[in-house]
Amino acid sequence: MAHRKKNRNVGIIGIGQTKYSSHREDVNQPEMIHEAVIAALKDAGLTMKDVDCIVHGNMELFEMVHQPDLWHTLGTGAYGKDCIRITTGGTVGATVACAADNLVASGMYDIVMAIGFEKLQEGHTTGGITNMADPLWFRHLQTGALTGTKAYDVIKEFGEERAKRASLMYRIIMDKHAGLNPNAHRAFGLEFEQIDDLIKTSPRLVGDLKLIEMCSQSDGACCVIFACEKKAKELSKKPVWVRDHITVHREEVFVMFGYDDRNPFPATHRFAAEQLYTRNGVTSPVDYFDVFEMYDPASWWAVDWLRDFFMLKGDEHLKLVENKEIMIGGKIPVNPSGGVIGSNPIGATALVRVAEAALQVRGDAGAHQIPTPVNHALASGFGGTMWTVLMMLEKELNWQEAHNG
Amino acid sequence: MSLDFDRKDCFVVDGKLALPYTYFAGRMGSKFITTLRDEKKIMGVKCPVCNKVYVPPRQTCEIDMTDIRENWVELRNTGEVTNFTVIRYDDKHLPRKAPFILALVKLDGADSPFAHILEGIVPEEVTLGMRVEAVFAKATTSTILDIDHFEPARVSKVQVSEPAPRAQEHAAVPKSKEELDQDERRKAMSKKIIITAALAGAATMKNQNPAVPYSPQEFADDAYKCWKAGAAMVHVHAREDSGMATHDHGRIKDTHDAIREKCPDLIVNMSSAVGMGKTAEQRISQIIHVKPEMASLNTNTMNFSLVDRKSGKVFIDFVFENTFTMLQDFGKAMEEAGVKPEMELYDMGGLDNWALIAKQGFFTRPFNFNFVWGVAGGQAFRPDAFMTMKHALPEGANFTTCGVGTDQFPAITMSSLAGGHMRVGLEDNIRIPTGELAKGSYEQVEWAVKIAQIAGREVATPDEARAIMGLRKR
Ligand SMILES: [Zn+2]
Repeated sequence: MAHRKKNRNVGIIGIGQTKYSSHREDVNQPEMIHEAVIAALKDAGLTMKDVDCIVHGNMELFEMVHQPDLWHTLGTGAYGKDCIRITTGGTVGATVACAADNLVASGMYDIVMAIGFEKLQEGHTTGGITNMADPLWFRHLQTGALTGTKAYDVIKEFGEERAKRASLMYRIIMDKHAGLNPNAHRAFGLEFEQIDDLIKTSPRLVGDLKLIEMCSQSDGACCVIFACEKKAKELSKKPVWVRDHITVHREEVFVMFGYDDRNPFPATHRFAAEQLYTRNGVTSPVDYFDVFEMYDPASWWAVDWLRDFFMLKGDEHLKLVENKEIMIGGKIPVNPSGGVIGSNPIGATALVRVAEAALQVRGDAGAHQIPTPVNHALASGFGGTMWTVLMMLEKELNWQEAHNG
Repeated sequence: MSLDFDRKDCFVVDGKLALPYTYFAGRMGSKFITTLRDEKKIMGVKCPVCNKVYVPPRQTCEIDMTDIRENWVELRNTGEVTNFTVIRYDDKHLPRKAPFILALVKLDGADSPFAHILEGIVPEEVTLGMRVEAVFAKATTSTILDIDHFEPARVSKVQVSEPAPRAQEHAAVPKSKEELDQDERRKAMSKKIIITAALAGAATMKNQNPAVPYSPQEFADDAYKCWKAGAAMVHVHAREDSGMATHDHGRIKDTHDAIREKCPDLIVNMSSAVGMGKTAEQRISQIIHVKPEMASLNTNTMNFSLVDRKSGKVFIDFVFENTFTMLQDFGKAMEEAGVKPEMELYDMGGLDNWALIAKQGFFTRPFNFNFVWGVAGGQAFRPDAFMTMKHALPEGANFTTCGVGTDQFPAITMSSLAGGHMRVGLEDNIRIPTGELAKGSYEQVEWAVKIAQIAGREVATPDEARAIMGLRKR
């Protein structure tokens, strides 16, 4: 994949999040966004005067609001500034981060604020998602965002007992992580002893995808401030450097009509990971990265995707889960924040992955900070038709010469 | 380039998107909408840093990002139009039938305009900067439509501006040949007789005659019957459901509009007296708001009381105030609003009062007068007094007459003989000449039609009446 080096380096210098929850009647959309914006400005020690451009994104029409970037100006602080709206479905939070990185790296702006938000309780998510599908072929057959095919795949490959236990093991690890994150929407206090019980008792949503394994619908906003190397060094004691990012997607992944061995589920995740690691010289991602904030909409997906993102073979990914290597304190902690299963304000969700990965690099994640040093972090975004976005974050600016500032 | 594509065998998917949603208004929006709903107050917030006042209220100043959520200010219900558009198509999602006006209204004290419906004015007359005021909805919907609409602001003190230059119509200016011809035609037409039905007045209640209308619907139904019976015009004082005379713009407009809806042909003449104890401003502002084709204009300050006709005992003593200033201001306001005044003459002095003010030249021809007889405080009906007043009218003026109680039928009979017109209705009298309660104003109209027949006068249609009285052709 053709890829050119950055024109200049970009650092994350401000991070702000709201508490994620099921309802926010007390604030309207711009007011909720404003909370994250103020938190990010405070974190960066900036005012809106310092910000050159705002990149705004969420799921199209999930709040049943047209052109939200315009009427959110009061919350985003975009008054009198350049503002760009981006919407790429579930990946949008990651895409606003990539766009902000590009806008700064290009030299267009020195400081760019990326904002992702969602108030899922206001709109109609399944209706919105269903309308994304091709009206001729798929729209009448859509069920929304849920699918049981991944559970089917994993069960088929590894047997029912091991597969179901791995999915629940992953789920409970996420719940334990969420319990440490004050912003997380859901933390039930699940214990590993409940695995067998939950396999039997949790209601099935689609196929073998159970209610407990699925992410929530959350309200919340996230804001991340990106700055050019010069400004980042001036303004921030601990800038987190954006090393690289990649986006891969394809539309025909609406595989509605059953699993086909000869035409497996297109592996955009693995493709994206391969491209990204190759061009950055990462040979063993599990060893290279210290933390991974993964967009994990459901535990079945999450377990399976670990294999793609970490370029693993056979059942190595299952072993990571089964041996709790993905837990805080493990070999490669995944989602210390509790992940998407813990909180899913969709338009913010993928940006939260970047924000949480950056907090881990800075060592500012609080109770869910992993105990070992974090020098290299990976964040992923996921959306509807197998969109994949990966972003690599670094503590030190030492992987390439910084030509300019 | 040809647009002639081959569309044969092309399948088209017909779909419909209809997604439910809720909107969390937040605390700011919640307070705004509940205060509007429960207290009929429009609230904004003021930024203490840049002094910008936001309505609808915002939590943050967009300019300086100041948190302004606690800085509530109450705004006035008046403001000015900063821009507007006219909606000329009908659609399900629109709040009114086309054509209607959507205006940006900047409330007094606010710095941000917001859009709302503007009523009570035709699109051609809307101007940027014009003063408007909010009219609150009678029933709440917990939406911004708790402000039902905006309308031209009430004239707080009637403007004393120069009247529009319609020189050829002014009383003081000599008449043109064309105008003299028009007068001739009017004279010929005046052989026809206009019957007006005063449906309710301000004082007649249902306990006196159950046919007295209170609700807009009752007014409309009554007006319809009168029109069917031969009336060309109805005279209206709107009532609350309780029967009390009202100066509420909404109720008056509803009453007016209900009549117009039911009988589009009929002329509606509204009272500028309204009822006892109303202020000058309450009396005239509703006329300017509703803009009926015609309205009463009272010409003198007088007693207007309730006195027992047999014993002379005073039940209610009331001074009906109509100062020269009011005569002037009301008259001007009506002429400027295109509402034709009907001058109410309770005695000869009223005519003299009018003639004095008319020297200012703003009253337009033809002038229309109504002789009112039998008010406790005015003069009783006397045929010679009637003729004296008729002779004192300016040349070419029209006159009609009405009488309270037993003065009613003798007075209108006199008028039909003397070339004038007739007003009947439950406002003036609750009975028919036999002494029985009238089944409605329409029954008195039926009697008036008989009187017209006896006097050899043909009953005027509403359009003929318009021509006679100089109302705009509809
Ligand atoms: Zn301000």
